[in-house]
Amino acid sequence: MRAMMSHSAETEWTQFVVVHPLRDVPEEKLDTSRLGERPLGPRAKLALFALRAYLLLMTSLVVYHAIGLAGLVGPLGR
Amino acid sequence: MYVSNTCKSSLEFSNESAPRGLVVHTPFARNLLTFLMVFGPGLIVMEADNDAGAVSSYIQAGALYGTRLLWLMLVLLPITYFVQEMVVRLGIATGQGHAAMIYKRFGRWWGAFSLFDLELVNFLTLVTEFAAIALALPRLGVPASFGVPAFAIALILIVVSGSYLRWERIVVGLCLLDGVWFGIAWYLRPPLLQAVHDSLIPTLPPTGLTPDLMFLTVAIVGTTIAPWQLFFQQSCVADKRLRFGDLNWARLDTFLGACFTVVVAMCMMVAGGASSRLGFSFTDPARMAADLGRALGPGLKLGILLMMCNAAVLGTTAISLSSAWAYGEVKGWPHSLEIPFRDAPAFYGVYIGCTALAAAIVLIPRAPLQLIILSVQVLAGIMLPSAIIFLQLLLDDRELLGERFANRRWNNWINWTIIAVLFVLSLILAAQVIAPELFPA
Repeated sequence: MRAMMSHSAETEWTQFVVVHPLRDVPEEKLDTSRLGERPLGPRAKLALFALRAYLLLMTSLVVYHAIGLAGLVGPLGR
Repeated sequence: MYVSNTCKSSLEFSNESAPRGLVVHTPFARNLLTFLMVFGPGLIVMEADNDAGAVSSYIQAGALYGTRLLWLMLVLLPITYFVQEMVVRLGIATGQGHAAMIYKRFGRWWGAFSLFDLELVNFLTLVTEFAAIALALPRLGVPASFGVPAFAIALILIVVSGSYLRWERIVVGLCLLDGVWFGIAWYLRPPLLQAVHDSLIPTLPPTGLTPDLMFLTVAIVGTTIAPWQLFFQQSCVADKRLRFGDLNWARLDTFLGACFTVVVAMCMMVAGGASSRLGFSFTDPARMAADLGRALGPGLKLGILLMMCNAAVLGTTAISLSSAWAYGEVKGWPHSLEIPFRDAPAFYGVYIGCTALAAAIVLIPRAPLQLIILSVQVLAGIMLPSAIIFLQLLLDDRELLGERFANRRWNNWINWTIIAVLFVLSLILAAQVIAPELFPA
């Protein structure tokens, strides 16, 4: 009976209603409210350590350049 | 009557509260209409990246090396798509912005760092956008003192209307207007076989791998994949309330946007190459437009100058919005383009403040614009790897996203490779700018 009903329902289903996302009922997204800070695995720790080292190096380069612009030190190799 | 998967819940509601939709009669029409409804954030984030700084970089690349760097754009196409696809997935899965996710999962220190860096680089980039407008308008006969404020006011008005769709439609129109670059490239008649060859076969210019070439290459990479794009598209997807079922259409939107953007960028390179072939030396895009106009007709000059302004407008609205969305997410303010100004004054205030202040700085006599432009290159280079690392870590977070939306193993392999390459390139760029004596000519 369900199959028959589905078949008969399908033959009547010749229209599609397309709803814009902004006009649709708000969808329930993944629940992030219960989550806090992410527990860091070895890969994440390594990545963030590398990022800290990278930022430290870049900041040092910027400071070096600023000091050089101020004329306090000469360029490398001179 | 069939109801699309994305709004089955409407069956549970009365007629008065059921979501309003459009009725079509074929699956093809349903798919096409769904795509058109989802379309927007992907094209905007990609094409807005062809901002004033990008126009300058690509044209300069063409002026110096002709068509020999076209292959680089095809290499960047899949990379920029991969990165933005992750952003789309994260935005649709969580319904929240990138800044909010970093704060939530990595804590206040990293969250504050990411937000501060984004706001700083974005603001400096806005100054360069208005600087480009100030450069282009006088050559069109419009004084910068009038044109820059007029553009700033227009950019504010298109956002504060309280309608996401109104803003999106205007900006998509401006994005598609960049198709004029196709006409410009066609008009300039580049050596077609050479251009096709250089697009498909990576080659070096006759001068070889020089520091100048490295600098320009890194600048192009940094221009094509910008940190603000990560924050912008995720917030835009969240503001548009894209649904789980829209993910594949959003991916298609992003892919088509990437293709369009890369081809436009290649056309800009062709324009720069034409300028060089005619014997003009490159100083800035506005000067190049004037040179080409004298040689090939005033229509070309007008087209290039208007496209420069268009690029700056696209960059300004997208970058200002990424700042406003990010700040609003972190502060917990109402932060949606669907909310009227009176209900989200702080959110709109950030957008208006950034736009107005950047425009004002450009109009200051003897403002250190060159220093600002240089600072943007360095800071963007510093920020890009950190932005992408957080993106990768968020997409690899199964506790957050579950198996459905988290990265697969092949995603992670590709993305970590991209991150490693971007790290190296950012270091090279920053070192070249900050300590040029390390790179002998």
